[in-house]
Amino acid sequence: MATVTFDQATRIYPKAEKPAVDALDLEIADGEFLVLVGPSGCGKSTSLRMLAGLEEVDAGSVLIGDRDVTDRPPKDRDIAMVFQNYALYPHMTVGENMGFALKLAGVDKAERARRVAEAAKILDLSEYLDRRPKALSGGQRQRVAMGRAIVRSPQVFLMDEPLSNLDAKLRVQTRTQIAALVKRLGTTTVYVTHDQVEAMTMGDRVAVLKDGVLQQCDTPGALYDRPANVFVAGFIGSPAMNLVTGPAVEGGVRVGGAVLPVPREQLARAAAGNGQVTVGFRPEAMHLVGPGEGVQVLVNVVEQLGSDAFLYTKLAGEDTDDVLHPSDVVIRTEPRSAPAMGEKLWLGVREGALHVFDAATQQRVE
Amino acid sequence: MATLALPGTETTAVRTVDKPERRGGKGARAGKAGPVTYTLLTLTALVSIFPLYWTVVAGSHTNAEIAATPPPFLPNASLFDNFKAALDQAPIGKAILNSVLVSSSITIGTVLFCTLAGFAFAKLQFRGKGLLLALVIGTMMVPTQLSVIPLFMMIADLQWVNQLQAVVLPTLVSAFGVFFMRQFLISALPNELLEAGRVDGASTFRIFWSIVVPVARPAMAVLAMLTFLTAWNEFFWPLIALTNANPTVQVALAGLGSGYVPQRSVIMAGTLLGTLPVLIVFTILGKQIVGGIMQGAVKG
Repeated sequence: MATVTFDQATRIYPKAEKPAVDALDLEIADGEFLVLVGPSGCGKSTSLRMLAGLEEVDAGSVLIGDRDVTDRPPKDRDIAMVFQNYALYPHMTVGENMGFALKLAGVDKAERARRVAEAAKILDLSEYLDRRPKALSGGQRQRVAMGRAIVRSPQVFLMDEPLSNLDAKLRVQTRTQIAALVKRLGTTTVYVTHDQVEAMTMGDRVAVLKDGVLQQCDTPGALYDRPANVFVAGFIGSPAMNLVTGPAVEGGVRVGGAVLPVPREQLARAAAGNGQVTVGFRPEAMHLVGPGEGVQVLVNVVEQLGSDAFLYTKLAGEDTDDVLHPSDVVIRTEPRSAPAMGEKLWLGVREGALHVFDAATQQRVE
Repeated sequence: MATLALPGTETTAVRTVDKPERRGGKGARAGKAGPVTYTLLTLTALVSIFPLYWTVVAGSHTNAEIAATPPPFLPNASLFDNFKAALDQAPIGKAILNSVLVSSSITIGTVLFCTLAGFAFAKLQFRGKGLLLALVIGTMMVPTQLSVIPLFMMIADLQWVNQLQAVVLPTLVSAFGVFFMRQFLISALPNELLEAGRVDGASTFRIFWSIVVPVARPAMAVLAMLTFLTAWNEFFWPLIALTNANPTVQVALAGLGSGYVPQRSVIMAGTLLGTLPVLIVFTILGKQIVGGIMQGAVKG
């Protein structure tokens, strides 16, 4: 087990104008489960591949433990990787797949068999050791890929969207299994996903990337409660945080004909750019207030989920016939007493639940 | 199981072949072929096998009997006399042994080198890759005749004239084979498999041996079959590089029955002798080769 450090690590693909990963600075502690998350093309997989040695590092360096591995080939890095499509060797049995790395490392046959059997037992694969990958289900293949990684007892596990080929139910089930397994093994893990729910549920810390730049790296709770900028605020959380931009006025920010109160000092700093301020509030941060006290919204769509109901609402005064954008504000509410479609509500934001961003720089203002 | 193959017009029958039977569990398989299909296939098979049959017939008669009208249509007992005549006139036994040696060496060399080069062109990144591939493919456009004289001069300088390596070495790699393996590996070998190999600690050669070769096996089998047949049938260059003292089958056959009146029956008997080894090999290996081709098709 070891720490992992990205020190200004940069990757520029040939003929590309912008770096795929731009001066990434990240320190991952020994035994930590770090999730890299972001939309397609944000550089999360490239970062992982740089750590694996499958992608060149054009500037900066990558360290595993105290060792600079920037220019070392993958086999000298003591890592194991789980690929999105599992990349199992089709002509080898499950046992041979899992033992291949050990065979290459010169581990003797008996020891190899022992370690493969041990890993197979953990992953409930013992009865499939003699089968070829094509005779396995998707979930079993995924476990073989995991087995191939853990059998080596590497310093770092790298996982590149290992759940994205599974169906929704199996994904949730496997998600918890992987998290539990990695905790039990205590191995440093870097996990790439585009699914923010996976990121929030699995990671000790989550690093959010966009356009090759690290936006924020923090615990799931901190990311949710104190997003560093508008992108992170909108990316983390489902449904996403409501983000509305309006002019700074006396006492707050004007949103849809009402003023959301923001402390004077915070408002001044947020409006320093262009006088506009972006405010964000989570769907669960809203509550009903008396007429004229908050923002008035019109309920356009009601989604019943059983445990919750989501109201997709339009700020009063906006164009309510815009079917492509039926909602400005999403509200989470009690499913049993949810307002009906077409109702008009007055809403306020709970104390302390308003996030304030500078509309010009998109950065959080405290 | 109901069948759509009703006797009738050709269109009905052809449609039957194309359309898989859908009714019932077993019906999900491909439909049954109709009588027209069978007739067409039988005709095709007969046309294909006729030259071989004629070789047997002509090889088992005398020259005069073949020239008669109508010609004979059934084999005769003189086949073994003609075999004997052919074996007396040319060193066919030695030629077959030489051809086996030459064709096997060329096949092993071509399959190995073309798979290596095809893998490099398909999956490895190196400077000048595009240019090198263009050069390799470009050599396919150079006619063999153009290179014969310089090649012969080289062989003569090396004092290899009339030696088997003169036939083997110039054809150990083929541009077609390189291109064929490259095209197969580009689609059949996912990059992640190679990356998994690298992460598992394999060297490039080990990746080739343990991961690429098993995946490439169907294409290698097809290339081996094509190369072996081409090498066995090769006549032009072996005729130049070898003499009748140390010939391959095709060179030996060229020297058969070459008197004032060509002895066709002896030539045919010799040809039959020269073809039999290939026929036997492919009758035995046919299933595996077809199996290999099918496996490749299913795996995609």
